[in-house]
Amino acid sequence: MQYVTRESAFHRLHPLTKLIFAIVVVALAVLTSDTAMLAVLAGAVVVIAVASGLARDLLRQVPLLLMLAVSLLALTILTIRSGEIIGYLVPQSVPVIGGAFPVTAGAIDLALAMSLRFAAMLFAFQLLVISTQPRDLVHVMDRLRMPVDYTLMFLIALRFIPSLQLEGKRIHEAQLARAYNPGKGLAGKIRGLFPIIIPLVSNSLGKATILGLTIDLRGYRSGRRTPMRDLSPGRADVAGICCMGLVVAGYLAVLLV
Amino acid sequence: MSPETGGEIALSLRGVSYTYPGSETPALNGISLELRKGEIVFATGPTGAGKTTLCLAASGILHHEYGGTLGGAITILGKSVRDYRNMGEIGRDVGVVFDDAEAQLIFTTVEEEVASGLENLGLSREEMQQRLRAVMEATGIADLADRAPHTLSGGQKQRVAIAATIALGTKVLILDEPTAELDAESTAAVSALLRRLSGEGTGVLIVEQKIGELAAIADRMVVVKDGAIARTGVPAEMMQESVQEHPATGAARPPGPAAPLPGEGVPVISVRGLVHRYDGVVAIQGLDLEVASGEIVAVAGENGSGKTTLVKHFNGLLRPTEGSVTVDGLDAATVPIAELARHVGLVFQNPDTMLFAETVADEVAFGLKNIDPGASEEPVDAALREVGLLHRKTAYPRSLSRGERQRLAIACIVAMKPRVIVLDEPTTGLDACESGRVMDVLSRLRQDGHTIVMVTHDMRLGTEYADRIVRMEQGRIVDNSGTFEEEPCLKSCSTSPGRAPFTASTRSPN
Repeated sequence: MQYVTRESAFHRLHPLTKLIFAIVVVALAVLTSDTAMLAVLAGAVVVIAVASGLARDLLRQVPLLLMLAVSLLALTILTIRSGEIIGYLVPQSVPVIGGAFPVTAGAIDLALAMSLRFAAMLFAFQLLVISTQPRDLVHVMDRLRMPVDYTLMFLIALRFIPSLQLEGKRIHEAQLARAYNPGKGLAGKIRGLFPIIIPLVSNSLGKATILGLTIDLRGYRSGRRTPMRDLSPGRADVAGICCMGLVVAGYLAVLLV
Repeated sequence: MSPETGGEIALSLRGVSYTYPGSETPALNGISLELRKGEIVFATGPTGAGKTTLCLAASGILHHEYGGTLGGAITILGKSVRDYRNMGEIGRDVGVVFDDAEAQLIFTTVEEEVASGLENLGLSREEMQQRLRAVMEATGIADLADRAPHTLSGGQKQRVAIAATIALGTKVLILDEPTAELDAESTAAVSALLRRLSGEGTGVLIVEQKIGELAAIADRMVVVKDGAIARTGVPAEMMQESVQEHPATGAARPPGPAAPLPGEGVPVISVRGLVHRYDGVVAIQGLDLEVASGEIVAVAGENGSGKTTLVKHFNGLLRPTEGSVTVDGLDAATVPIAELARHVGLVFQNPDTMLFAETVADEVAFGLKNIDPGASEEPVDAALREVGLLHRKTAYPRSLSRGERQRLAIACIVAMKPRVIVLDEPTTGLDACESGRVMDVLSRLRQDGHTIVMVTHDMRLGTEYADRIVRMEQGRIVDNSGTFEEEPCLKSCSTSPGRAPFTASTRSPN
């Protein structure tokens, strides 16, 4: 998840508008458990991405969301019995253990609602990150008087996720060159992580000091910043904020009625 | 500018000593050094001499960020580092380029990275834009403006880190190993830029292990040894002495079994019509290569020329998009990596990408046990003996010095007894002494019958040690004829002190 250089409509919005958009989507997703409303919310974010030509970047998260949805479904089926029983994980025709693990409508509803909620939140956050240069986000967070340490933590997390992935790949390749073979079974798999995780963590910690010094030396704690680009909001931002206001009002009305 | 000509003092260290927290041995031992505005001082010395600590002391980092015991006086532009409130305030006077370029890149595009410091200086937008463009042009990164830092090569990252620091326009610049990963062309660009900045009155302190192009532009050269300044002199004279003491005659080329000429005998590596594309980018475009058994071949070329991409095909880490790669009779396009690892060992540029075990012996045994679970300790000891680390077999691998870690990485591969050993930039970050040790190890391995392929951007290393240099440019082999004694670029390539000469061109006084 990283800034993508492109000339999209969403890119052109003021970073604050995009930040408000992400916050609104997250808030609305948290406020309801209704699957229909959550589906509309997630769908709306996808429509905005499609209209801005950023759909392909958003779709990269789909495998992660599917894995999450399947895990949630398994978890809710195993732990929740609520509402109508619509089937069994072990068919009733099986002797002795037949009828074990009933699948209830309540469990499926909850798994679906949680998956859609994650999808809406992840898509909104993804749209914000891929369309906003991190330094613009830093300026906005400064203006919102966020403590500089939190802003920098956010910035560093964004920057170093792909670097960590790359470093992990490099370490994996170096161990493969030594005929590294992740072990079999759960214990083997856990043991097999050590040759990757230990160098990854050690190397990352080694970089932390230099990273901190660089931030200080570039004056990021001085609190006096002049954005290189003009960050004044435009008409599209006003329209966007108004739309979000209407959506929030409508959403709350539906929830309260 | 020479120190005799005077000039305002940019940086001053007087009797500076420093001991790291938890250590009993001082890392700096009474160092005194002055840097004047417009002057370039080049500091060199062996690994562990205290060069990086000198950079940390001179930039006030030791005082403000590290614990330990610091003695003596350090002033920046006449002001004691103790009088600066924090590193942010020091950053307005001193720019520091650290030796780890990757860790200094905070933002998600190159342009943002260079602009990031400018936005904190209170400049107008026009001034910022102007300075941004000028710095990016001067460091040759204008075409990388929209690239994400993690997608850049080591050399490109180093240039971006230098650009982001230079953009701050500080009157003092401290650079720790700024050209370790740069090819000759990029080093020349950085040299020209530093020369220009010194001409504009910036005091520049450069710390490098290898005496190369940057030494030639310096006004003064100091040799740091055991935390103290062992020698000070005029760079041209000191380099000339180094050449006279250690003439490079090609005698470093290791003796061994007579290496067959290309085309003779059955090649141990055979590459035919290799094409490799990454995400639509052609990294290797139609390449043919043969390496004979027992040869030492250097694959040389500028950053991004496709050297590493080529050698990753030898052990299956990359598979050809088109063409074929045969290694020791195996089709490297289809044979599993674990099987290829028995025949080809790849030592990566940074040994820290592989070290994870509790002891040196366990580290070496890891690869060996992967291919032979019942292996005895004998090959582990033999490999450690080969690289001169048997006495450290119970040590924690990450506590070893950089050079020792590099030799340990080689031992990890040697223990697996592959017929071919490939090394990616085997001497990067090593001083002359450690580089020499690594190359001696390779010489012995060649005598033991291994075929060696080493990737390097240092042509001099290839000329001295390899039977043959294969030079690459933009994913193609542009010269496969032999050594490059007559190549003009050689004269500007960096070289190790005590191993090779450097055709010094002294800098004309301002």
